[in-house]
Amino acid sequence: MPVAGPVRDPVVSQRAVTFTKPQIAAYAEASGDHNPIHLDDHFAQTVGLPGVIAHGMLQMGLMATLAAEAAGGAERLRRLSCRFAGMVVPGDTVTFTAEPAGPGKLDLRAINQRGESVLTKSSAEFAPK
Amino acid sequence: MSSIGDIRDATGVAGRTYPPVTFQIDPERAAAFGRAIGADPAAGVPPTFAAVYSLGATAPQLFGDPDAAVDFARLLHAEQEFTWARQPRPGETVRSLGHVASDVSRRGMRFVSFETETTDGAGEPVCRSRALFVIRS
Repeated sequence: MPVAGPVRDPVVSQRAVTFTKPQIAAYAEASGDHNPIHLDDHFAQTVGLPGVIAHGMLQMGLMATLAAEAAGGAERLRRLSCRFAGMVVPGDTVTFTAEPAGPGKLDLRAINQRGESVLTKSSAEFAPK
Repeated sequence: MSSIGDIRDATGVAGRTYPPVTFQIDPERAAAFGRAIGADPAAGVPPTFAAVYSLGATAPQLFGDPDAAVDFARLLHAEQEFTWARQPRPGETVRSLGHVASDVSRRGMRFVSFETETTDGAGEPVCRSRALFVIRS
């Protein structure tokens, strides 16, 4: 099959984020999700957690920020999905990766410092320029 | 007209549609949300601010519905999908309609698929949210 234009290597975007309690508290404030499992270590422990955990939607938001950059702007994003597969606690470092997967499509990954996927089944679609 | 209780079946609150909720996108709050997720606050409303204006505006109706009987302490947000026709503008007022697409219990777990359609002042689509909630028994 003839190649009409220049062949470019897929551009992989990546960002590592170390989660902190102030960041989780800032997300709680801005999102309005004040569930104490994200804010109060003692409460979190009473429901069987090691302490406060990050909002799944904070993880997805960070993923969206990277996906929007990879898409060439937030206004181009048309779809974003993920499964919340793993807990993220303060001090965890999650590496978010967006990899082109065909025209207008991105495969997305979020992997913690132990190599575990914290978001799975994650992908995005965007409108072309 | 859809209203609470107009569709009932044997599987929890499947089919139930809640009354529409209007939400004005406060530019300062959208910017604070953007900063919390590492986005440039000047880049407009962050896409996942839909967690606030779409999902967040309507999910409390499900959680507060006595018939749905969602035990918040046993609730997990398992999956999330947003699709956008466009991103809303700071200051814009949008309208969201929440709907229980399915409500199924199996092996001691309850799976509630909750969809929200968000439209603009002209009734044109802005965003659709699909959340999967799992409630452990």
